[in-house]
Amino acid sequence: MNDLSPDEKKPSKLAKWSRRGFIGAGVLAGGGLLIGIGVRPGNPIGALGPKVAAGAGEQLVNSWVKIDTDNIVTAIVPHCEMGQGAHSVLAQMLADELDASWDNVRVMQAPADGSYVVSDTARMFAAPFTLNAADWLEPTWDGLFTQLGKSMDLLITGGSSSIRTTGQHQMRIAGAAARQMLIGAAADAWEVPAEEIATRDSMLVHEASGNSAPYSEFASAAADQPMDHTPTLKTRDQYRLMGRSKARTDIPAKINGTAEFGIDAVPDGLELSYAAVVRPPVPGTTVTSMDANRAEGMSGVLQILNMGNFVAVVADSYWQAQQAMNTVGIEWSQSESPVKTMDDQFAVFASALDGAGDTGGDQAAARGDAPGALADAATTIDAEYRAPYLAHAPMEPLNCTAHVADGKCDIWTSTQVPLMARSEVASTIGIGADDITIHQQYLGGAFGRRLGSEYVAMAARVAQATGYPVKMIWSREEDTQKALYRCADMSRMRAGLDESGALVAYDSVFTQRHDPAEACVPAMYDIANTSVRVAEAELHLPFQAWRSVDHSQQGFFIESFIDEAAAAAGADPLDYRLSMLTNAPRHTAVLEKLAEISNWREPSAEGTAKGVAIVESFGTIVAEVIEVDMTSGKPVLTNCWAVCDAGYVMNPDGFRNQIEGGIVFGLTAAMYGELELEDGAIVQSNFHDYKMLRMNEVPNIEVALINSGDVPVGGAGEPGLPPAAPALTNAIFAATGTRLRELPIAKQFV
Amino acid sequence: MASFILNGEPITIDADPSMPILWAVREKAGLSGTKFGCGIAQCGACTVHLDGQPVRSCSTAISQAEGREVTTIEGVAGPDGELSKVQQAWVSEQVPQCGYCQSGQIMSATALLRDNPSPSDADIDAAMSGNICRCGTYTRIRRAIKVAAGIEQPRTEQAGEEA
Amino acid sequence: MRNRVILAAGLLTVMVTACGSTEQPAVVEQIVVRDRGEAAPVVEAGAGTTDLIAMGEDAFQVCAGCHVVEAGARSTAGPNLFGVVGRKIGGLESYSYSDALAGSELTWDEANLDEFLADPAGYLPGTDMLAGAVRDEEARAAIIAYLANQSSPSGE
Repeated sequence: MNDLSPDEKKPSKLAKWSRRGFIGAGVLAGGGLLIGIGVRPGNPIGALGPKVAAGAGEQLVNSWVKIDTDNIVTAIVPHCEMGQGAHSVLAQMLADELDASWDNVRVMQAPADGSYVVSDTARMFAAPFTLNAADWLEPTWDGLFTQLGKSMDLLITGGSSSIRTTGQHQMRIAGAAARQMLIGAAADAWEVPAEEIATRDSMLVHEASGNSAPYSEFASAAADQPMDHTPTLKTRDQYRLMGRSKARTDIPAKINGTAEFGIDAVPDGLELSYAAVVRPPVPGTTVTSMDANRAEGMSGVLQILNMGNFVAVVADSYWQAQQAMNTVGIEWSQSESPVKTMDDQFAVFASALDGAGDTGGDQAAARGDAPGALADAATTIDAEYRAPYLAHAPMEPLNCTAHVADGKCDIWTSTQVPLMARSEVASTIGIGADDITIHQQYLGGAFGRRLGSEYVAMAARVAQATGYPVKMIWSREEDTQKALYRCADMSRMRAGLDESGALVAYDSVFTQRHDPAEACVPAMYDIANTSVRVAEAELHLPFQAWRSVDHSQQGFFIESFIDEAAAAAGADPLDYRLSMLTNAPRHTAVLEKLAEISNWREPSAEGTAKGVAIVESFGTIVAEVIEVDMTSGKPVLTNCWAVCDAGYVMNPDGFRNQIEGGIVFGLTAAMYGELELEDGAIVQSNFHDYKMLRMNEVPNIEVALINSGDVPVGGAGEPGLPPAAPALTNAIFAATGTRLRELPIAKQFV
Repeated sequence: MASFILNGEPITIDADPSMPILWAVREKAGLSGTKFGCGIAQCGACTVHLDGQPVRSCSTAISQAEGREVTTIEGVAGPDGELSKVQQAWVSEQVPQCGYCQSGQIMSATALLRDNPSPSDADIDAAMSGNICRCGTYTRIRRAIKVAAGIEQPRTEQAGEEA
Repeated sequence: MRNRVILAAGLLTVMVTACGSTEQPAVVEQIVVRDRGEAAPVVEAGAGTTDLIAMGEDAFQVCAGCHVVEAGARSTAGPNLFGVVGRKIGGLESYSYSDALAGSELTWDEANLDEFLADPAGYLPGTDMLAGAVRDEEARAAIIAYLANQSSPSGE
């Protein structure tokens, strides 16, 4: 439970997170105060060498970095690359601590092996409260989660966490440790004191004796040096690569067609067959009958399989498989779900909220006496908000290539969770995890979708049943309609204002609370009496974390409703928010800078208006102003300004790219995102009816960054999204007086 | 069966004449740079050039390529791997995020600039709105097109440094 | 300080989806049509088959990405083509056509369908059907024969 009890001693209302700041501060200040942050006990490169450094001349210095005879430094990165730049920026952080020459740094995807589970990341996903632990407990939690993370398969990319966990607490340490090991090796060889050896651009130099050598010369000897698990890290003024917009290492391959995504895997020496699949239109149903007569006669078809919970056609090419799949008649079992349409789904939500009434449900957060304060308030407002189901719709449809032979299984796919995928395959096809190898490829987008591995298990089953190496590709229709989803939800909200219009009471109750726990709480605002309640209701469509997770709908609910309060108070929405952020200096600074760059205080052109929203998520504060032109009667997005405070940004241009992306993703959902239901099945199927924002509709986007200093580094991938929808609906209200409490927007202006 | 010129080299594809060019180049010719995104000409990830004109290869049968020239992303760089102006701009502006849509984006942008060396924003909208980018790199694509056209200067690393 | 490990909902979600598919039914039915390495039957338009309509149904697969041909079915990216032969161009009530088709006074017949399918944008400039030309004459004739067979007097 997120305790809103105000702690006046703490500088930020988000007091719960200040402990995490301690760990971060220790690292950023570069002091020796690092407490047992996880570097592998010992230096297990012996076992790993053959897996990650088998090439001629390659030498693994520690688990995370290898150097070859050409003095190329390769960072071994345990996260997937799905466009967020994790591969390159994590390498950038290691390379900086290592004093490696950036032009000669490469990145290698760490194998899907328990050795690469990072304790900090594991803790963030499994037990975030341990990140606030007392210092003396750090080594315990670190050691525990290095082991526990391995057995729990916690090799995960998500939660906007790669840089702020693995980057800060693994890659930097590995780089600094490797540098010391190289120096130690050179000191031994040159018989000079280690303190006198300098490093720069992958070179070791001892000025006094005139000795110098590239790192490659001492890589092998370095690996035998003792490894310091708490090396001194650089202070910010010492950074040479971190904090700079270094060009991404994976971009050259992404502009000439050579980057290999999951769907592109063509394993050496294997002749592939291809599978198209159809999954149940209504979740949870199964095949009752299958008519494959036509498909049997179609060109290229090898096999047709009824797998119980899906049907597959295997053929010589994906196109032939899909053509044949389109002709297979399938009857499905009856669904027991009473939800046939979205009206039914919202009725389920409403029923749960009705049951909770004004004070019922589970208390998610509380401060003061919201019910009492609401009753006494000079003015009260209330509203009911709704949000629809949303699909992830990555550009690369789900796919997986699998080969099962001789008691072993090889998988090539794009995944955010390679070890969980491996475990799922193991339990599905009855082969031990040690005999299953996951070969990770680039992801053509994920946004949380590839945190679930049902598609990997499906491919493994088809490969096992046919005996062939099979590449299974989901059609866009399957990817849209038969997937896992951002939940729909409904939120009833009430606010009480005093005579001056100040917000003195806030209450909300909604039905979906997944992750992160604090997303539903307007914690940064000074609202003396707050109550946040959950009245759980069942979802018809299965849930999957979707970019920014609960922040995506709660950001819309909360920041729209705060705007309603501002309107009721007759106040400027930005100033109204500032008046409630007296204990939040970072939020205040972000909003004030935003007011400046967006010319908030200048009147807008006729028919045009601006809206504002601010959401802190995944460690980063983002405020956005969106300007909308309503002169045609339909919303035209002209401009978007965003200001972000992530504490410190490791790669400014990369960070901006992520925020721009989050904004476009959020605006797409706001304008068009909706999945309708008919007979319990999703109606939308492809990009003609599950519409996307395109080049001609995106606004100009300007992103400003504030590095506020010694606070934990915040994430980049998700934080740009939550403020987008409310900033837009707030702008539409400012322009038209129409308050939108449901999404998507475009269909409300036809 | 269909015979055509693929990236300057003659090729014969032994397949059903109604097989889309997309699957022929990916699975028969082994060129995986052209991507599958939707299969119904809505997303542009499969964009190739047919006699220099951008087409959605997911919805264009190989029979339509008979005797004609097909160019994919693999055929954009020079024979010695020298990046085209468009590709160079894509790098200088750090356009791609996941990169999956970018082959199609580059093919559409290349055709635009060949036909219209100094496009306006409206020209860019018209030429590029058939290409979806789910990662949202549209503003960078627009800037990269202008850089490739010489309308804007390329970003230097200094420009993006320290916030 | 809480001592029990609380699984964050995100992880729980991942675990739930992982757990959800361990209950996998065995293969229910496996139809082996052909083994790899066996020569695939050559399927060419007009190769030895006399049933033009069946050929057309096969050739229609390139169109199936955007068009259904089924009485009463909801249109997909393109209009439902059940009953298209003999239907006014742009005539399906429930579909939102381009101005080019909506504004036409003509009725589809086999002759103008042949012209349209050979070069959609040439025959009806402004059509939304950017892809989908069928250059092969025989395939075109087969598709049209198939569509003609799927047209009832009542159209929709």
